[in-house]
Amino acid sequence: MTPRLGLPDLGVGVGLRVPHYRHILDTRPAVDFFEVISENFMLPGGKPRYHLSAVRETYRVVQHGVSLGIGNPTAPADDYLRSLRELVRETKTPWVSDHLCWTGVPGVNLHDLLPLPYTDEVVEKVSERAKRVQDTLGVRLLLENTSSYMTHTSSTMPEWEFVSAIAEAADIGLLFDVNNVYVSAYNHGFDPSEYVRNVPHERIVQIHLAGHDNLGKYIIDTHGGHVVDPVWELYRETIELTGAVSTLIEWDDRIPDFPVLAAEAERARRIRDEALTARAPGSPRPSRPRMGVPVPSARVTERRGWAQGGPREHDGDAP
Amino acid sequence: MTAVTPLQAELAELLTRRRAVDTDPTVREQCTRLAGGNDRLSPAEQIEIYREQFWLRHTSCLLEDFEALASILGQSDWERLIEDYLSAHPPTAYNLRDLGERLPAFVERASWLPRHALCTDMARVEWAYIEVFDAADAAPLDPQRLASVPEAAWEHARLVLNPALRLLRVRHPVAALRRSFRLKQPDVVLPEAHAENLVIYRGQERDLHHRVLGDDAFSLLDALSQGLPLVRAAEIAVARAPDRAESIERDLTGWFADFAAQAWIVGVEI
Repeated sequence: MTPRLGLPDLGVGVGLRVPHYRHILDTRPAVDFFEVISENFMLPGGKPRYHLSAVRETYRVVQHGVSLGIGNPTAPADDYLRSLRELVRETKTPWVSDHLCWTGVPGVNLHDLLPLPYTDEVVEKVSERAKRVQDTLGVRLLLENTSSYMTHTSSTMPEWEFVSAIAEAADIGLLFDVNNVYVSAYNHGFDPSEYVRNVPHERIVQIHLAGHDNLGKYIIDTHGGHVVDPVWELYRETIELTGAVSTLIEWDDRIPDFPVLAAEAERARRIRDEALTARAPGSPRPSRPRMGVPVPSARVTERRGWAQGGPREHDGDAP
Repeated sequence: MTAVTPLQAELAELLTRRRAVDTDPTVREQCTRLAGGNDRLSPAEQIEIYREQFWLRHTSCLLEDFEALASILGQSDWERLIEDYLSAHPPTAYNLRDLGERLPAFVERASWLPRHALCTDMARVEWAYIEVFDAADAAPLDPQRLASVPEAAWEHARLVLNPALRLLRVRHPVAALRRSFRLKQPDVVLPEAHAENLVIYRGQERDLHHRVLGDDAFSLLDALSQGLPLVRAAEIAVARAPDRAESIERDLTGWFADFAAQAWIVGVEI
């Protein structure tokens, strides 16, 4: 199979977030690409659409969603897919990503990325659906491994086996969130290296990196800080296995000034380059020890809410 | 129906509960059947992480969208209102933008609220701002298009209003009050009743504004918004205030020019 399903390596990008719009449009900083949250722009008009259009004048944009609900009891609604497809045509995104999770049941949208039971039945149901969504959208669909805070008693396989089985059966790509692997490894007590080594590397089209909040007993995937060192190491290990994959820094909570985010992206680029050099033909193959199960931390942060995709854009009501 | 479907329904019911799931022994048992737990968190504590986030996420979203209503009510009444609202109308849309769509009507029915009429006005105005913010774009009215309308056609011609415009009759000066709260002005005093005709609109620079209109100009604009031809709309404005018929006729051209200049009118359908 062609690596990354024939899709391009876009380099290192960052998530497009509302507090940075002014800086980005005024200074046009050097960024390989921006990732946008699809749902924030599936709107008729106004500032969100204007800002997207202005960013697209200079930058490549890829779409990432939070509401597909691929594992919900019912299939994604037609009107949702129609709006998503319209945006895909407008942005010319090379792929569309969302999460391998469920988000609600008929009558209630929980607006969360809830873990599915890892069973053959769910693999079959989700992969059938993912195929149909990919056909409808007309671009490659990537599903992202989520962070989780609970395990299902009904699961019959490890998460990496579940993720791999769906990607293969549906012939879709993976958005591999390295931070999510680490968060779930910490929360559920498995070795993140085992996860990284046991997914289909040729299907990994994009990587996410982000910070998290360690509450001691568990970690919450807040996207609210710097990427931590163990996640950088896991990223290095991933790139050594996958080759050059588009990488994106997500920062959705306690969003810093743009230069801080840009510096995080530069760090990703440095590590990516080092890992690519290490895997180049003729280079001595690094013998990397497994990371092992993360040990609960004594350094904790305060418990708080979190959001996927950062704040929504609101009006700048002229006083 | 598959085996995972009832499991999801059961979890959704647990996650939308108003109170913690790790305190009730019966619910703890239910959680143990569903979640694995580990040596740091019980099954109920794992599920509780998601339940707590359901409420934090949605209440904070409503607070962003109805900041002034929350400021009028204060913490305790606001929390009660919002918990009641989310229980009565759980989120259904894929987009959090639509979460507060039914809140104005819900507030109108919540007669226990202090300053109930003021709260109802404010909820309507804050939702109008949400709608106007991302409504469809429309180009301003083309003067050439206007000039090309034959004289005889005006009797039946309909004027198309900007999709990013809402008209509200309110009983309190809530737009100014909303602005005071948003600007974090100190010692904001809640106003007494004073009816206003509000136009909430998005300007060509995409910022949101409000304007208070006089009764007659508002009547005209309101009739136009219902798709009535200009001539008929003017008749309605006069019928509402027959004693001001002369001044309405005199001001009509000026109002029309003003509406067009503000891009409140964006097209003519013959």
